[in-house]
Amino acid sequence: MSILDLKGILSPLGALKQIGKTPHTITFPDEQKRTSERYRGFHYNSLDDCIGCGNCSTICMNEAIDMVGLAEINGGKGDSGLRPRVDYGRCCYCALCVDVCPTGSLNMTKDYVQVDNDPFTFLMTPGKDNPDAQERISFSADLESSLNVFDRVPMRELDPDERVKSFAEVMLGYNEEEARREADRCISCGLCTEACPVHMHIPEYINAIAKGNDNDALQIIYDNNDLPEVCGKVCTRKCEDVCAIQVRGETVAIRWLKGYVTETVNNADLIKKVVNPEIREPNNYKVGIIGAGPAGLTAAYYLSLRGYSVTIYEAHKDPGGMIMYGIPKYRLPYDSIQKQVDYMKKMGVKIHYNTKVGKDIQFQEIYDVNDAVFMGIGLQNAYTLGIENEDADGVWSAIDFLKKVNSDEKVEIGKKVVVVGGGNVSIDAARVSRRLGATVNQSYRRRVKDMPADWEEIEGAEDEGVVFMPQTIPTRVVTDENNKTIGLEYLKAEMVSQDGGRPRPVPIEGSETIIECDSVISAIGQQADFGLLPKEIMEELEMNRGKIAINDDRKTSIPKLFAGGDSVRYGNVDAISAIADGYYATIGIDKMLMKK
Amino acid sequence: MKKEQKILADLKDVFEISGKVKAEKRISIKTDKKHVSSILLYLKTQKGYIHLNHISCVDFIEDNEFEMVYIIWNPKTKLTVLVHTRIDRKNPKMENIDAIWDQANTYEREIREMFGIHFPGLKGRKEFILEDWQDIPPMRKDFDTQLYAIEHFHSRPGREDAQNVREAIQQRSKEEIPEFAKKYSRD
Amino acid sequence: MSKTREKETTLYLDPQHPGITGNMMIKLKVKGDTVIKAETHVGYLHRAFEKLVENRNWLQSFTLMCRFCVPEPDPMELTFARAVEKLEGREVPERAKYIRTIVAELARIQSFLLWYGGQSGSSGLYTLGQWSVGDRNYILDLFEDLTGARIYHMYMWPGGVRRDLPKGWIDKAYKTMDYIEGRLDNYNQLLFDNAIFQKRAQGVGIIPKDKAIEWGVVGAPLRGTGIKHDVRIDEPYDAYDKMKFVVPTYEGGDVWARALVRRDEIKQSISIVRQALDNLPEGSYYNRIPNPMKWTVPAGEAWVKTESVRGEIGFYVVSDGGNKPKRVHLKGAAYTHGVTVLEKILPGQNIADVSFILNSLGVCPPEIER
Repeated sequence: MSILDLKGILSPLGALKQIGKTPHTITFPDEQKRTSERYRGFHYNSLDDCIGCGNCSTICMNEAIDMVGLAEINGGKGDSGLRPRVDYGRCCYCALCVDVCPTGSLNMTKDYVQVDNDPFTFLMTPGKDNPDAQERISFSADLESSLNVFDRVPMRELDPDERVKSFAEVMLGYNEEEARREADRCISCGLCTEACPVHMHIPEYINAIAKGNDNDALQIIYDNNDLPEVCGKVCTRKCEDVCAIQVRGETVAIRWLKGYVTETVNNADLIKKVVNPEIREPNNYKVGIIGAGPAGLTAAYYLSLRGYSVTIYEAHKDPGGMIMYGIPKYRLPYDSIQKQVDYMKKMGVKIHYNTKVGKDIQFQEIYDVNDAVFMGIGLQNAYTLGIENEDADGVWSAIDFLKKVNSDEKVEIGKKVVVVGGGNVSIDAARVSRRLGATVNQSYRRRVKDMPADWEEIEGAEDEGVVFMPQTIPTRVVTDENNKTIGLEYLKAEMVSQDGGRPRPVPIEGSETIIECDSVISAIGQQADFGLLPKEIMEELEMNRGKIAINDDRKTSIPKLFAGGDSVRYGNVDAISAIADGYYATIGIDKMLMKK
Repeated sequence: MKKEQKILADLKDVFEISGKVKAEKRISIKTDKKHVSSILLYLKTQKGYIHLNHISCVDFIEDNEFEMVYIIWNPKTKLTVLVHTRIDRKNPKMENIDAIWDQANTYEREIREMFGIHFPGLKGRKEFILEDWQDIPPMRKDFDTQLYAIEHFHSRPGREDAQNVREAIQQRSKEEIPEFAKKYSRD
Repeated sequence: MSKTREKETTLYLDPQHPGITGNMMIKLKVKGDTVIKAETHVGYLHRAFEKLVENRNWLQSFTLMCRFCVPEPDPMELTFARAVEKLEGREVPERAKYIRTIVAELARIQSFLLWYGGQSGSSGLYTLGQWSVGDRNYILDLFEDLTGARIYHMYMWPGGVRRDLPKGWIDKAYKTMDYIEGRLDNYNQLLFDNAIFQKRAQGVGIIPKDKAIEWGVVGAPLRGTGIKHDVRIDEPYDAYDKMKFVVPTYEGGDVWARALVRRDEIKQSISIVRQALDNLPEGSYYNRIPNPMKWTVPAGEAWVKTESVRGEIGFYVVSDGGNKPKRVHLKGAAYTHGVTVLEKILPGQNIADVSFILNSLGVCPPEIER
């Protein structure tokens, strides 16, 4: 540029045009700039909502999150008792932990300033060390943006209108691709194992299914459950009620996955080949088992593996107990049970059928010959309705009805049936009656949502045409001159809430209604039949609220007598609790006999 | 896909290669290591692939081999050719191509430092990214960074009370996980 | 001239020099005021990300990707996400493509504004740096509202984007674009009409046009030699095939041409952002991945390129079918610019021009050594 460059000389004079104009101000607001609504600052964890699953700790790639125990948090029942603690020296604020939290309790706040001389204050437990940060939550993950898969892979079932015509199995089971997809949803936290009565190793076998190793999965399942196909089809699944995913979504289908694995082996030889359990050398002890229900079968199998010589005495002609004679075949086919029992027989279990203890063989004989006795006698006697004319022709107890149907005996129930009750047994009776061609109404004292039966069973019954009559209390069976049932009279009830307790059904005066029917099937509870025990044993035997009293090893107050199954349990009884009793009784018997 | 097929057929004609058209504008070929520099020179001078995009190396420890990948681009046809070759892992040696492209020098120096591959005639300081490195070449799969960190640095105190969720639940319910199942547990 | 003035000395342009964009050392052999030989030494910013991701699963490694480059982290995330999508064959919804385009272009604008500061500051004009970094804050505010962080967004992950646009963001974006466009005239007046800058930039640091592609020059420096190449046109990705924009080129190959290219590109970026905001489709913003701890990507390899501010960056990703990457290798534009090209064009230049040329090439040392 030479000195004669006019443009260069004159262009600064262009600034003169700014004279008189207001200066250009870059807006600098007086108030503090607001942090955005999505800012990723320090964490805040709601200690009550958090279940301690540890998913945040697993996904943190800087290993910044530890799970630690807190004094004010107790674990159990779907909560591991641990809570996350973040090391802010390592956290990179990527917020992946917030995106994978299944309950949505972990969030990030707008706080980002922490100045302290003590470096240990940078190890913060969010929620405990900064409780007031709850007001400043900014980054959170809702159902749509969370990385967890909240929708379950749906289970295919037979069409309801078609399936009432036969006893074909209703649930079609997962195929391989569906099972792998469903197994991928599991976050392997392990909260389910605590809820399972026998503490099956659930995350381990689900991960084996996800990787494609079905044989490993079967081996893991058989470690403490020898009736997995039964559980895979009809378990009450306490595990699924505490699954981490079900807090905001649909629980992982643990039961169906177990069913999938057991269906990959279709005969007893294959089971033996895959499971290949370790069998100890035979010792010289003998154990007698009364009842080939789930409790007895489980005890027999695991005792055989430990080298004991085991004999089961079963009163009926087929094994299985209530799962064979109580559960209808469209839920649990006959072949399923047979396959598993065949495998147990290959492991050395001996079963004597049609042998009722107390009639065909005496209890004392079994007690004297064996080094230990296990009783799994179940609840064989039904409670009676306690209403007028309940001994009429056409009034059934559900367990007798189901036992006859499952034994392929002909049953005449007519065209219209009323089932009384709200548990699983009542639903089974209702759906079996539909398959025998009857129209079914079901009477229950409380509302449908109070029914203790499985929600899948209730839905299945509704799809098949069972009509529910909630808040009805039967008062009398109406009979004709031949003492044959022609109807059921009932009172309507209203729910009256108690102070702080469950609402009670109170009958409404003058609301008697009669419904026409050919049969009444009652399913309102069962009790055990202790007729097999001699009088001296009955007097010595300690009871607990009507059931046999046992300790953690399933040992009763009588020496060398163990018990398990429905006959020892108060409250809701199911197969998996019976299996758990059989398994822990094995450990108890082993402890008692090997000590000598 | 016509232009991609044409180049592939051309190369197959002239050299011993195997390859296919991976996707739009991507041709992947695999060849023996002694043909690599002739293929690259042919493509650069005869076919217009004058731009060297990338030289990479992948450690296939399970096959006992390193795989060298040369990625070149033609600015006129906009096609990319990826040339793969395998070299032995025990005694890794690869031809130096910085006579064809000057910037290959930088890539090869880094690969020499990170993987330990010898390029005869490669000029330039031995240390490119690392300084005073005494261990095995770090990008190899048998170098464990976590072990290195634990051995050479001390960790900060204050986090010893960390617990494992699965173990905490297992101890409370007295569940015994068998050994063959432990490999499926979380971490 | 006494002989001592013509003696060769070694000068270390240290990693802590204010003229270096990042931390890198250039060892210069100078004679008087002229550079005879230059040698680049890197290694101050090696964080070994490529080794670290081999121990992390695919979703955890996505959070490391943005940290490769400090001034412009978004293209790294975007390219890695596209590479994983290519390996899996995963489709990205339309809305996510548009949002990604907007975020990538906003990242370009804010990086250009930072470049303004570096280029003018290394020539002695410090006012422009204060203005442009202050204006850049408005774009960072937009990012903070959208993603939750100002610099390392971790927003574009495989399958789409992480969250949808918040309420009121589109209006704020329009306002910010209007504001920045209004400021561009001021920058032009201060820098490009400035005779001192013109004198310093013209004819300095020339890259010959016939050798440029062979040397591996990409991006704005390549367009400054007169060759028109842009990855957004060669291999369009996301929503770029629906955007109308012009790729400016200038002849000359010197610092002046490169600066002009960048000046025009800011206007193009603003126009692309406006077009994308006008035509934003409805729909989902994310194609879900399965449970991240168990997510596996099919075996194969992918080579994906993106146009970033510096030039063309590429990711070479190899998967062996597992849930952890086998190899992730980034090729940054600065890899060739900062080492070979620099060593070729610096001899003969003035010492005062060294960091000037470095800024014009857009060298980012964290990208060189990852």
